[in-house]
Amino acid sequence: MRGHPFLRAYMAGVLLPTWFLPIGLAAFLIARVTGHIPAGFERAIIFPMAVVPNLWGIWNVFYVALRLRERVSIGLFGALLPVLLVPAGIVLAAALDLRFYTLRQAVVVLPVAMAVYYLAWKYGVAFANRIVEVR
Amino acid sequence: MSDDDRELDFIRKQLRTALPPWHDLELKTDLWPRMLRRLEETPVRFGWFETLLATSIVLVFAAFPELIPVVFYHL
Repeated sequence: MRGHPFLRAYMAGVLLPTWFLPIGLAAFLIARVTGHIPAGFERAIIFPMAVVPNLWGIWNVFYVALRLRERVSIGLFGALLPVLLVPAGIVLAAALDLRFYTLRQAVVVLPVAMAVYYLAWKYGVAFANRIVEVR
Repeated sequence: MSDDDRELDFIRKQLRTALPPWHDLELKTDLWPRMLRRLEETPVRFGWFETLLATSIVLVFAAFPELIPVVFYHL
């Protein structure tokens, strides 16, 4: 596997959130059926379904294209992604008039999301990168 | 032979002449051992920092369960 390194990096980055998506969707459907989620909330799904996996892929392409492997740990680089994602999530939630998510919660969530991302990138994305021979 | 059969036969012949025959379809080597070697070459190490992070995440989720869907929103 030698050609198309950026495509391979993109696919390796997209893999983990794509696997997680059905679990999230199942949790959402169960919560929706049991009435724990108000109507109209499904609009929020667009963010984890379309935006997040693509950003993971693009973020991994940056990691490969900028040759950061020697300088920055992939876990640390992945942990920086919520710095973009959390404000984007707030903007999208506000645009869709979803009030489940306040600015105060976002400030609390940011370090937690960074910790989750650190582990996910250090073990998940790094593993996928090794498999597709992304250096 | 009906017109349809003749037409199919014609198409079959045209396709055979257009596409060169493929030789050596089998792989020279088995790729699976290489894949296994790559999976094993760098064992995953879970150090004290990662353990601390994972424990902190679990504790935060236990203390503030309302944050779980918000974190899921970003995954």
